[in-house]
Amino acid sequence: MKITFVKKILADGSPCKKCGEVADKLEKMGHMARIDETIIADERDSNSPGMLIAAKYNVERAPFFVIDKGEETPVIYTVFMKFLKEVLEQQTSEAEELKEIMKDNDLDFL
Amino acid sequence: MSETLNHVDINHKLQESSPQEILEYAISTYDSIAISFSGAEDIVLVDMASKIKAGVRVFCLDTGRLHGETYQLIEKARQQYDIQLEVLFPDANAVQKLVAEKGLYSFYTDNHQECCGIRKVAPLRKKLLTLDAWVTGQRKDQNPGTRAEIPVIQNDRIFARPGETLTKFNPLANWSSTEVWQYIRKNNVPYNPLHDQGFLSIGCEPCTKPVGPGQHEREGRWWWEEATKKECGLHVDHSKK
Repeated sequence: MKITFVKKILADGSPCKKCGEVADKLEKMGHMARIDETIIADERDSNSPGMLIAAKYNVERAPFFVIDKGEETPVIYTVFMKFLKEVLEQQTSEAEELKEIMKDNDLDFL
Repeated sequence: MSETLNHVDINHKLQESSPQEILEYAISTYDSIAISFSGAEDIVLVDMASKIKAGVRVFCLDTGRLHGETYQLIEKARQQYDIQLEVLFPDANAVQKLVAEKGLYSFYTDNHQECCGIRKVAPLRKKLLTLDAWVTGQRKDQNPGTRAEIPVIQNDRIFARPGETLTKFNPLANWSSTEVWQYIRKNNVPYNPLHDQGFLSIGCEPCTKPVGPGQHEREGRWWWEEATKKECGLHVDHSKK
């Protein structure tokens, strides 16, 4: 299994805040060694490796993780807590999971 | 071809399709599918779907804070349409803990996200773990800032079961509010009477208010919160191409 962490650089050249927070959490939890590759999705360059992967798999947000198990289609995780729980088997609380989902997604239609 | 690419291809094919055609495709493709009904204008989906397939599955998220009018519409839909209507409730312990710690109106001082997380998203997530596909009433014109690009079919990576695919349909994505209301009137679809009182968007009672002429419908929801910029989207700078 290959895990690719895709981080974003914003159109103004600044790093994505959440990407930094996610990287810090992975480091603190001791999971960074599980990440095989980290690549950048630079909003200023649609041909940057991360932007190309995002376009290929129709991912509209970052950070995200690509889990390649050698099957035809890799699995994409856009919810960090879901990635932590399902791939890294890290225990997460429902409150944390819901907080991230609510913060990053437009669910106001519910 | 990958499942992801299939969603994109099918979305392109369905872009010119009517909501009824999209629903027909959805219902004929997936056995394990349900419609999310909020008790507002999305009742048009219930009306359309019930004409396509008897006994179609519909679920409502009862937060415990809905308007009386919304509960009445949900019940009317249950009685009028040949549907399997399931009303979902939040976890009582989670609600009790929230209220004990922060009171009944914590959303006015924090924000609505914690309360919505417990009362809506947690039961929704639990339900979606049992489905292969779901249907929402999202439209592009509801929020040009966050919904301008919503597809009619998408790969729902938020709520999918581990290692599996969940498909989300938004049959009304390309319809305007005017088209929704034309359908409601033409087909005598029952609707929430709050709409006649100036409510364009209807959610929980403490978090919804009528809007005035010229105001956007989203201004009637969580009006005390400053609209925050969504930072997590990926934006291509076309000027650099």
